[in-house]
Amino acid sequence: MSEIQAAVPETLLLPKRLRAPEVVAVLDGLRHRGEAGPLVLDFREVEEFDSSTMAFLHYVRGHHREITAVNLGGGLARADESFVQKSPEEPAAEPPAAEGPGRFFRAYADRVLVKARSLGRFLAMLGDEVYHLGVYMKERKGVYPGETWNQLFFMGYRSYPIVCMLLFLVGVTISISSAKQLQLFGADIYIADLVGYAMLRELVPLMVGVILAGKVGAAITAELASMTVLEEVDALKTMGVVPEKFLMVPRLLAITLAVPLLVALADVVGILGGIVVAQLTFGMTPAAFITEMVTSVDWTDFGWGLVKTVVFGWAVVVGAGFKGLSVGRSAEEVGRATTESVVLSVTLIIVIDCLFAFVLY
Amino acid sequence: MDIITARDLTIGYAGTEVLRDLTFGVPEGRITAIAGVSGSGKSTLLKTLAGLLPPLSGSFDFAGATVDYRSEASLRFLYSKIGVLYQGGALLNGLSLYENVALPIRMQYPRIPEEMVCDMVQAGLAQVELAGSADKFPAELSGGMTKRGALARALVLDPEVVFCDEPSSGLDPITSSLLDDLLLRLKATFGMTLVVVTHELRSIERVADRVLLIDSGGLRFSGEYADLAASNDSFVRTFFLRKDSHDDA
Repeated sequence: MSEIQAAVPETLLLPKRLRAPEVVAVLDGLRHRGEAGPLVLDFREVEEFDSSTMAFLHYVRGHHREITAVNLGGGLARADESFVQKSPEEPAAEPPAAEGPGRFFRAYADRVLVKARSLGRFLAMLGDEVYHLGVYMKERKGVYPGETWNQLFFMGYRSYPIVCMLLFLVGVTISISSAKQLQLFGADIYIADLVGYAMLRELVPLMVGVILAGKVGAAITAELASMTVLEEVDALKTMGVVPEKFLMVPRLLAITLAVPLLVALADVVGILGGIVVAQLTFGMTPAAFITEMVTSVDWTDFGWGLVKTVVFGWAVVVGAGFKGLSVGRSAEEVGRATTESVVLSVTLIIVIDCLFAFVLY
Repeated sequence: MDIITARDLTIGYAGTEVLRDLTFGVPEGRITAIAGVSGSGKSTLLKTLAGLLPPLSGSFDFAGATVDYRSEASLRFLYSKIGVLYQGGALLNGLSLYENVALPIRMQYPRIPEEMVCDMVQAGLAQVELAGSADKFPAELSGGMTKRGALARALVLDPEVVFCDEPSSGLDPITSSLLDDLLLRLKATFGMTLVVVTHELRSIERVADRVLLIDSGGLRFSGEYADLAASNDSFVRTFFLRKDSHDDA
């Protein structure tokens, strides 16, 4: 007798209004009930329903075989039919993924391929830009008149305050951190050599490069990416203008002109930071500092620092242009491209700096 | 005579076909409307015809020459014969309206005297009734003014074909109607060929001589606007005549 009773399904009469809040309550009830045998959901009273009701029905059918829905009235039945028709089709079964190490290597190989393709496109763009710059210098056309000066104003004039401030602080920091060690060995005087060499050869190029990546590179990517999204780049193409030339050549010329000015300024303020610390820590006069500094650094150091920074500047502009002109059509991609541009520029700067280290030292 | 002839044109992005096997012609000196529901691929087709998106297969001729996307010379030839009015205008934000309209002249003919540039720009702006707004920047222009300014830029080098991507989108009915008048005037005065992408039925009714209707990845109707009424195709009737095939029964 008890077995027969257990086989008789329980019935749950659903309320007149069965919208999202009521559906949630019923689902909670089902969750608490667990797998306590068959259940009949009786919809006879249901008059008010919405898409959550339909989704509930769909869910119950898919996940609770022990539950049966009965007495779906006319409107509800029609809505149910239409909802089921509109529901997305089951996704096509994906080919079985490789197991274990195979899966890992395949995913890794895919990523490497994507990066390799991207690197290829970047190098192709770099080659194109060198070509466009050469053609422009010869023919003087294909670039908007005056745009180079606008860019120079932005990259040079607008960047010098931040460059000065940060490089002064870097000069101060490097002097303070080395002063203590030098004092231990009674080698106070060499602070001038250390600061001069470090600033001219390494810290100024690296810091100016990083500042350009954050300030100039990000701005270039954001601008070019917005232009791409707003079809301005397409408009240039259909006007017979080569966007890679029109947009990039003025920026490359501007960075080539702006970098020497920024580097010279940064060298001066960086060394000034060192002079201030040497004066305050060791009582070394500025004249003594400079006299000692020029015994270990010369114009070659300044020159190599300059060359490195110009190369960093080019890497920043080409990297930023590459990211800006490769975006798709959504505004979201502008932000992503800008972030990627800064990461790419800083990576390029460090890699190039490392290559220079092999050549120069 | 057709100035554009497409043969088995299949277009799309990176392996995803948007439109398949399109064969059609665009007659010279007339207005052809490319119509279809949102997302049907109208703008994608326009991009291919304007030299911005290479076809996946098939080809098209422009003014008697097959457009070869791999050839820079072929694309340069195409660009020299067309003007494009983009959906959002696509005026360069950093330049004034005057400089935007002058841009194609300066880029194509860098040694042209400034006086001539000025005359050409002023004439172009007058044509779209924006002569008084030459010094304004795109951010200072209304939607309708932006579209008209972009049209002036598209027309300034007297192209043979002007492509217009959704010229009425985002405009009120009056401004939209003024823009339609402008397109009709260009056709009547200069015998210009216009290809207009739109789903605005009023606009199609007013300006289109010929219609290409796109649906489900293919061409559903290609013919004279006047022939639409005789079409038995249920989609054509629903789209243009707002009639179900059942209505006739």
